[in-house]
Amino acid sequence: MRWSLLWLSVAVSCGGSLAAQAPTDEFLHLEPVLQAAIRKVTPSVVTIETFGGTRRLLAGGGSAVPDDAPSGPGEKPPEKKPPEKKPDEEKKDEKLPPLQQAGFLQAQGSTTGVVLTSDGWIAVSRFALNYDPSTILVTTADGKSYHARRGGEDTSRGLALVKIDAQDLIVPEFVPPDAARVGQWTFVLGRTFGQEEPSVHMGILSAVGRLFGRALQTDAYTSPANYGGPMIDIQGRVLGISVPLSRSGRDAGAELYDSGIGFASTIADIMPLLSRMKAGETLHRGWLGVSTVTTYLGPGARLAQVAENSAAAAAGLERGDLILSVDTVDVRNSFHLQSLISSKMGGDPVHLKVGRKSGTVGITVFLKDLPESERQPQKPAEEAGVLPWEEEDKKK
Amino acid sequence: MSLSWGFAACCLIAFVGSATAQDETYGQDYAFEDRAPRTPLEKLVAQKLPSLVKIHGASGLSTIDPYATGVIVSAQGHILTLDLIMIQKDQTRVVLHDGSVYHAKLYPSDRKLGVRLLKIDAGEKKLTPLVPSTRTDWSHGTFVVSLGNSFRLAEFSEKISATFGVITARARTGLRYRMSDVDYAGELLITDAPNNPGQYGGGLFTLRGEWIGLNTRIMESKETNTQISAAIPTADVAPYIDHLVRGIRAPAEEASDEPERAVFHGISLFDHGGRQSPPAYVERVARNSPARKTGLRPDDLIVRLDEYPVRSCAEFRKVMRRFAPDQVVEVTFKRGTRVLRKSMKLEEAPE
Repeated sequence: MRWSLLWLSVAVSCGGSLAAQAPTDEFLHLEPVLQAAIRKVTPSVVTIETFGGTRRLLAGGGSAVPDDAPSGPGEKPPEKKPPEKKPDEEKKDEKLPPLQQAGFLQAQGSTTGVVLTSDGWIAVSRFALNYDPSTILVTTADGKSYHARRGGEDTSRGLALVKIDAQDLIVPEFVPPDAARVGQWTFVLGRTFGQEEPSVHMGILSAVGRLFGRALQTDAYTSPANYGGPMIDIQGRVLGISVPLSRSGRDAGAELYDSGIGFASTIADIMPLLSRMKAGETLHRGWLGVSTVTTYLGPGARLAQVAENSAAAAAGLERGDLILSVDTVDVRNSFHLQSLISSKMGGDPVHLKVGRKSGTVGITVFLKDLPESERQPQKPAEEAGVLPWEEEDKKK
Repeated sequence: MSLSWGFAACCLIAFVGSATAQDETYGQDYAFEDRAPRTPLEKLVAQKLPSLVKIHGASGLSTIDPYATGVIVSAQGHILTLDLIMIQKDQTRVVLHDGSVYHAKLYPSDRKLGVRLLKIDAGEKKLTPLVPSTRTDWSHGTFVVSLGNSFRLAEFSEKISATFGVITARARTGLRYRMSDVDYAGELLITDAPNNPGQYGGGLFTLRGEWIGLNTRIMESKETNTQISAAIPTADVAPYIDHLVRGIRAPAEEASDEPERAVFHGISLFDHGGRQSPPAYVERVARNSPARKTGLRPDDLIVRLDEYPVRSCAEFRKVMRRFAPDQVVEVTFKRGTRVLRKSMKLEEAPE
């Protein structure tokens, strides 16, 4: 009997190997799996609608005309401003310059959001709030609508939080950072077309850790149709939130929608920042405030200039200092220093080992927020979802 | 003990044997000339391509592409395509998959759908028509293959291009084509199988071989201000085909969306007529009006009428035109920090 078992297993192995040569129908198998994944995450995908807005989005440098200017002869200016515009909001408007975005006029259709906590904290794309709306409405998958108030945001990730008054919202399953593999299927979901099922775009994971460790890159179409929506894997788990981000900063990132390049802020990085954003903080990329000597190729990075009022200046860094390590990681060269610093947030402490003629010293620097002046002078504003990536050799 | 080792050895040999067997045939399978389709996806494309034709039309205007694709819908030679400007009498030629060319006769187009039927006389040649699916419930995430002569890359008898994606959404969306609004009332199958010039009039297929859509021009969605790839559901064009090919009359047209009687609701919006229409805040509610009976108050912000979003006073007026007197409309509105929903029965506007 044991011999027949042996021959049976041989026969099965041979049969198995023959089956392996038959044509694969992976897409037919994949389709119901994908649709099950969509169904699994759908309860956590919400619709964001914004109303009113005090910022004007201009195409290519036109002049800003206030909303309430009469548009024709004989029209009276308004007698009363619409309700809900509190005095401090009006003051805020005066400070903000008009947004400029070359060639892309943002539509005011609805956008998408993802439930982060069961008591009503929702992640949305910063893009959706560009107009500085006076009213934000969230509609959950079961059709209920809620008024939402703004929480904090992370400008380096193109994300903002809003809060609704709800209980028992369904939170999706989040993927831990080591579970994302380049080449795996990714699907980006959105609510813009207003159907019961969210819209779907299909692609693969093109890269991880993009934009100094902040985002996953995909070739699934990301566009206003799904900004703020989840990027999920084939099991319906959330990998990240689709947002317009850009390496060069010259456009808002929204114009990359047709290029096969899309970004999603890594969800595993967002959750640790949640408590600060819930408290209303606006988080920025961390800024050291130095430029390095480009002719020095390492090891370490030699400082050429230390900006006034920078985090580096406050900590006592000087021109000529050699940065040897950041938080126990040895700095190999200037690019490495930029990489290490740029992945951090404003307010984060970094412990530097600095080489000087007098010897090696340890200096702790509290990074500052990347200042407005460092973000894209004469280029589209930070608020349009642009990440301010500096060119080579400039301040870090 | 030794038995289990023997078993393991046999399995290993079988496994290794199968692996090397695959390697030997690998190079042969990828010889340049056509190999027989093996996977369901390959079979699907091979099966559908003979039913697609290349259409060439009137050229001369820099803004139009004088080429497109069409689908054979009858054995007698009827071909469905988009209603494109370049399709002109005596100037439209159809190229079959085998490279043969024919003049096409034009049928009246369906203006609402934007499609047109052509007819060729292929003589004794056997044509393989496709049957349009009449299903309308395609799920988002369904895999689709789009076939069409993208960028006129296929010349003469070269095979029409195939590309792949999913149904992104089955939706109605405000549309724009080259700066002008498109008045299209039906649903579209929006996909991420990319649509390109020349692909118009081509077909959208599921993995199971159902023909579910006719590729449209590339248009912009007003919801997102981005271009979308889309197809008209074949369920919507089937009556047009039936009518012209088989003489089957479509049932009487449904009442249009614009009713003839004006509605009265009693809502005055705070609309100061600025350059950008402001959100639909209620300024006044008329006495004895439907809005008063529903309980609407000044300062309420109207955000939805039935399922239509209302983002501005202009949109409120536009959406209101869809309704008729005596119709009950669900009004979703924001009062303070609450979002409420109430039903309002519209009345007829007094003369």
